Amino acid sequence: MTDNVVIQTSSLTKEFLRDEFHVVALKGVDIEIHKGEFVALMGPSGSGKSTLLHLIAAMDVATGGNIRVLGQDLRALNDRQIARWRNENIGFVFQSFNLIPVLTALENVELPLKLTNLKKQERLDHANTALKLVGLGDRTGHFPRQLSGGQEQRVAIARAIVTDPALILADEPTGNLDAGSAQDILSLLSQLNKEHGKTIVMVTHDPHAARFASKVRYLEKGELLAEGAVPAD
Amino acid sequence: MFRYLPFVLKNSWRNRRRTTLTIVSISVSLCLLGVLMAIYYAFYFTDATPSQALRLVVRNKISLAVPMPEYYRDKIRQIPGVRDVAVSQWFGGVYKDRRDPKNFFARFAVEPERIIAVRGEMKMPEDQKQAFIHERTACMVGKALAEKQNFHLGDRITLQGDIFAVNLELTVRAIYDAPENNEVLYFNLEYLDQAMGSKRWGQIGTFYVLADSPDSVPRIAKAIDDSYRNSPVQTKTESERQFQLGFLSFLGNVKMILLSICAAVTFTIMLVSANTIAMSVRERVREVGVLKTLGFTRGTILSLILGEAVAIATIGGAVGVLLASGLCGFVRNGPAFSDDIRHLSIQPPVALACLAVAAVIGLISAFIPAWNASRTSIVEALRSTE
Ligand SMILES: Nc1ncnc2c1ncn2[C@@H]1O[C@H](COP(=O)(O)OP(=O)(O)OP(=O)(O)O)[C@@H](O)[C@H]1O
Ligand SMILES: [Mg+2]
Repeated sequence: MTDNVVIQTSSLTKEFLRDEFHVVALKGVDIEIHKGEFVALMGPSGSGKSTLLHLIAAMDVATGGNIRVLGQDLRALNDRQIARWRNENIGFVFQSFNLIPVLTALENVELPLKLTNLKKQERLDHANTALKLVGLGDRTGHFPRQLSGGQEQRVAIARAIVTDPALILADEPTGNLDAGSAQDILSLLSQLNKEHGKTIVMVTHDPHAARFASKVRYLEKGELLAEGAVPAD
Repeated sequence: MFRYLPFVLKNSWRNRRRTTLTIVSISVSLCLLGVLMAIYYAFYFTDATPSQALRLVVRNKISLAVPMPEYYRDKIRQIPGVRDVAVSQWFGGVYKDRRDPKNFFARFAVEPERIIAVRGEMKMPEDQKQAFIHERTACMVGKALAEKQNFHLGDRITLQGDIFAVNLELTVRAIYDAPENNEVLYFNLEYLDQAMGSKRWGQIGTFYVLADSPDSVPRIAKAIDDSYRNSPVQTKTESERQFQLGFLSFLGNVKMILLSICAAVTFTIMLVSANTIAMSVRERVREVGVLKTLGFTRGTILSLILGEAVAIATIGGAVGVLLASGLCGFVRNGPAFSDDIRHLSIQPPVALACLAVAAVIGLISAFIPAWNASRTSIVEALRSTE
């Protein structure tokens, strides 16, 4: 393993046991993602894309195999350590934005910083900077319901980057947006990748979106296709 | 933890109508609880006044309603530390109309000189005192009673007997002022005996004993009861404060009643509050998933939700305490059967206790939903669509 490997999994398996049902969401996934890459993760619905993203973010625990993210063996951490690790190292962007409705844009972005040792003023400075970066420096006092979908997603991205994480994970970030807003979001992610050196893994259904990535990987029925391979149909 | 306070408050104000209703129901219940606690406090936590602390009350061990031999007085007077003894006989009877609770006040047949000596805190002009002592049909009323009933010197008061089958025609000759027992009518025991044409078979309801110092009160109580331990009629001697509380138990087990109403009220708000919190947490499971994704730990999430519940409940508690002190004002002016009720108010310890109860209600009622939410896995929480 070289220094610039950000994500490395081997035989990563995830099974869900639901009442009588037994679902294998990931079957022996081996993937290596390097620093500075912008990887698009594609595949049909139910192929395990979100599941893989959740395992990378340590939001869920693998059933089998190994996973190292940013040099950290995720299985070696306890709950508190994982929460802290995620706060410092991962920025997660959801399809449905998931902003906190009672908080303003600025307060939403400040939220992850409340878990750090920063003083109030430093937190607000950082949050303002992040909002400016996503082009919403003039909307800091707006509540989520006063923003458009595209703006909400940009606030969510600001929230994801405010702790300056090395890795950004986005699960269909443009899935709920019109073409124009989607374009803005993709440009923004691309900018974060190119100008700020963030490693990005983005799940998407949209081939156009995938074109912003430096690499596309496909999942099919829980299995990762070889690098460069595309699904048959 | 304080850095989360604004977030907690914003969360609690998220569903305004529900939060308002919760605050209202908690405050109404806590108002009731506050008044009950104030009554409890007044009864069981208020110290005797200096004059009360010097007095003991002797009664028949069987019950306050059963009299005892009047000649016991002579022996009681011999006990070291006893300064004076006054007999006192509950007259009962009816004034004007028994249906109006306003007409219910305490009437005692006494020996005027003795009661004035034993209740040294009663203040009145010397000429009134002399008139009460020397005129057989005179009566003496407390200032508070005189104001309530609009009694003036020289007024005639007719009492219809019930326990004692005689009607008494009394004249107000003295109006005393005292820090406690200020709504009592005293009249001459001799007049009662004369009207009855007998001496009550030598029986009396109670003795009031004046001690030389508060320290000798417990010893005197024991000495009195010990002297009659082997007599056919045994006595029970208590400090005046204890006696008043004992008198309350005429109304039933007041302590038990108060405590069980308090418990019922607390339990009910607990359920109301638990239901509300559970509802609002269920709506926000997804957000819990988001917070965890941002790096919030289970513990922080648990305390955020508990904090919210405690904030709402404590605000309800504070409003409840304000309502309760208003309600105490009403109770004070109503027909009172005890001095404690007449001075009823929300004392600081009671207010604090109310707030603490409210906070604990918030804490307990939120605990299970908060615990469950904090334990929900991120992926599970994010899948929640509610
Ligand atoms: N928490 C869960 N409990 C049970 N089964 C689950 C759970 N999460 C995912 N699955 C199952 O695992 C499989 C992979 O799900 P996943 O969400 O990773 O797919 P996906 O590729 O993200 O699909 P989509 O494109 O629809 O988002 C599916 O069959 C899904 O039903
Ligand atoms: Mg998915």
